[in-house]
Amino acid sequence: MKKYINNRQATCALLALSALLLLAVLVAGLLLNERAMATDFSRRDLAPCAAFPFGTDWMGRDMLARTLAGLSLSIRIGLLTAAVSAVLALLLGAAAGGFGRKADAAVSWLTDLLLGIPHILLVLLISLACGRGLWGVVAGVSLSHWPSLARVIRGEIIQLRQAPYVLTATKLGVSRLQVARRHMLPHVLPQFVTGLVLQFPHAILHEASITFLGFGLSAEQPAIGVILSESMRYLTTGRWWLALFPGLALIGVVLLFAGIGDRLGRLLDPAGIHA
Amino acid sequence: MKRMVAAVLLLGLLAGCGGQTASTAQQAPQTNAVVVAMDPNSEPTAGFDPAYGWGAGEHVHEPLIQSTLTVTNADLTIGYDLATDYTVSDDGLTWTVTLRDDAFFTDGEQLTASDVAFTYNTVKQASSVNDFTMLDRAEATGDFTVVFHMNRPFSIWPYTMAVVGIVPEHAYDSATYGRNPIGSGRYILQQWDPGQQVILRANPDYYGGAPAMEQVTILFMEEDVAFLAAQAGQVDVAYTSAVYAGEQVPGYALTAYQSVDNRGINLPAVPASTDAEGRTVGNDFTSDVQVRRAINLAVDRQAMIDNVLSGYGTPAYSVCDKLPWYNPAAEVAYDPEGAAALLDAAGWRMGADGVREKDGVPAQLNLLYATGDSVRQALAAELANQLGQIGISVSLEGVGWDTAYDRALSEPMVWGWGAHTPMELYNLYHTWDDTGLALYSPYVNETVDRYMDAALQSTDLETSYTLWQQAQWDGQTGVTQQGDVPWVWLVNVDHLYWVRDGLQIAAQKIHPHGHGWSLVNNVDQWSWAA
Repeated sequence: MKKYINNRQATCALLALSALLLLAVLVAGLLLNERAMATDFSRRDLAPCAAFPFGTDWMGRDMLARTLAGLSLSIRIGLLTAAVSAVLALLLGAAAGGFGRKADAAVSWLTDLLLGIPHILLVLLISLACGRGLWGVVAGVSLSHWPSLARVIRGEIIQLRQAPYVLTATKLGVSRLQVARRHMLPHVLPQFVTGLVLQFPHAILHEASITFLGFGLSAEQPAIGVILSESMRYLTTGRWWLALFPGLALIGVVLLFAGIGDRLGRLLDPAGIHA
Repeated sequence: MKRMVAAVLLLGLLAGCGGQTASTAQQAPQTNAVVVAMDPNSEPTAGFDPAYGWGAGEHVHEPLIQSTLTVTNADLTIGYDLATDYTVSDDGLTWTVTLRDDAFFTDGEQLTASDVAFTYNTVKQASSVNDFTMLDRAEATGDFTVVFHMNRPFSIWPYTMAVVGIVPEHAYDSATYGRNPIGSGRYILQQWDPGQQVILRANPDYYGGAPAMEQVTILFMEEDVAFLAAQAGQVDVAYTSAVYAGEQVPGYALTAYQSVDNRGINLPAVPASTDAEGRTVGNDFTSDVQVRRAINLAVDRQAMIDNVLSGYGTPAYSVCDKLPWYNPAAEVAYDPEGAAALLDAAGWRMGADGVREKDGVPAQLNLLYATGDSVRQALAAELANQLGQIGISVSLEGVGWDTAYDRALSEPMVWGWGAHTPMELYNLYHTWDDTGLALYSPYVNETVDRYMDAALQSTDLETSYTLWQQAQWDGQTGVTQQGDVPWVWLVNVDHLYWVRDGLQIAAQKIHPHGHGWSLVNNVDQWSWAA
């Protein structure tokens, strides 16, 4: 078979497709939010059928609508938290790499501290301290996910500062700001964008886990964590559809995001493949 | 973490579903022993010490290991256990109780009035879960006569005497008693593995005759694990809920016991304002008495029972349905048209979007429920649907108990109550001195207060029952449909159990709130069919 498109184009196409799929879930969930909350006891505990492909739960809620609304909520929370934590990582990483030894020591200490605490525990603590609910989750996830990316960025910048062209530019009298903008930023950008996208699956999974454990979103929200923790009660009575489909859907979304991150990384930093 | 443990256990049990469990299911049960699976929350965390809530805590039941002065009869009137008689002075401030002289602790010492006085003076000091402020002190005036000096009249003192287990003065150390209780009751604590099980052995010297059921094992299990344990034939009785009501377990029958374990919502009966602590108290919508009456009429209790409880429940009209102090005037028929008419008359006109409004204020409620309680959540959802039909828009919100009490001062919440004492009416409807409002949901009615004060001052229980009933409705005012309706009661939740065929559980008193130890109140009278 003749090859019509090259690898790069294929990657781009896949990337666009994944993004489109996620966008579709996001929008569908938003539109279905009303339906996801509606209870109707005349149709409770239905196994998957044509009208309700994902079945219904013990209050007669449509599990397909609930799952989509939950994923949509997760994606929105993921977007927000990933963005906040990536920006935090960029700022702190840049500060550590670019503002001398004291700043470096301070940021590195903070990074080590946060990395030293078990991750889920940290998310729980921050979420509890911020009063749970949506904002507790957002704060918990975004304030705990920046350290690893910050470390990468710090390393990059320290390395760059010793690069011949940066040293030359400095000696030629180019201002620090110019150096940062012209030489550093383009180098750090791929790391940053890839890191940002790869935060998503983490953020979404952590949001789902702490909600599952009861420290996140409140129980009437159509969140994946809520759906899964509710379904646990009904597993022994054979209502498998309550956990299976939402669980698979969550895995699907997480894999899509991970795929996007990988591909984006390769596109932005083609040389990295050979490293 | 609990869930994970449960899941692992579950897998283990499923894996073992082959031949092995089938054979245990057929094993003939021991004829004089019984194994009961209970909710892990039923385990007394502070041990079996009445001073720290055993029997007399949030969920009252008979303490089994200890004896009590009185007991509640099947109809919830008062009978005798250690007491042979009691009298109360005309001013209600002195109770004199005579004791039986044939009760011995299981270490051989005789139970005397000084043990009783010691117990009551100790619980007054130590109890963090029960209110003993009405008691001044207890005094032994003879070997078998004890006198209670009260701070204020408290006619329902016999109901308190029915839950306080008597501890031995000579062998009581508050640090160790909870783990090694000595009592004069029907059972002796043989073994307690915290987090797992409690084994009780019959007291052969019990003054009421040795119990027929010689060994009682209580296993603490999550609901799904208890269900699997029943399926595997490992327990004789397993608690369960409506979620499992549709299932079949071979060799077991699903058994339902009536309860006053009710669910209801509070409707703040005063307009919204801010109190000294900065909390919002009151609600402008529910402070309209016609709105509260309309809500009470618009509740289809039978639909709730069918939908949420799979039929295992009874309609609730008060906090104390079917108890001696219940006033049947509380009963109200489902009447959505009547509810709509009340709202129309009160000026709440139907808007274009199906939500009523009055002077631009929409008829809406934010209904709270305890996060994680699926029954309360489903009741809240069903209530929201039902109220939506008469044009009241209801949103739901799950809250934790850390904030629930404060939030409920201004917003309706789904509560669970139901106790074997009229004191509950006082706790819900009587005003408190410091705020001038009822404790859990703001409400004031001086007449209702007066009836309850009179009920507590009465020296005769029968008279006090009438006064408690009048507090609910006296023909003019009260807390029922024609009255103020500060609370709307929804359903009483039946307590469900899987019971192994052949086990005869003795007739149960109507169960109070708390799906736990009440069942085994009379385990000494249970038997196996031959």
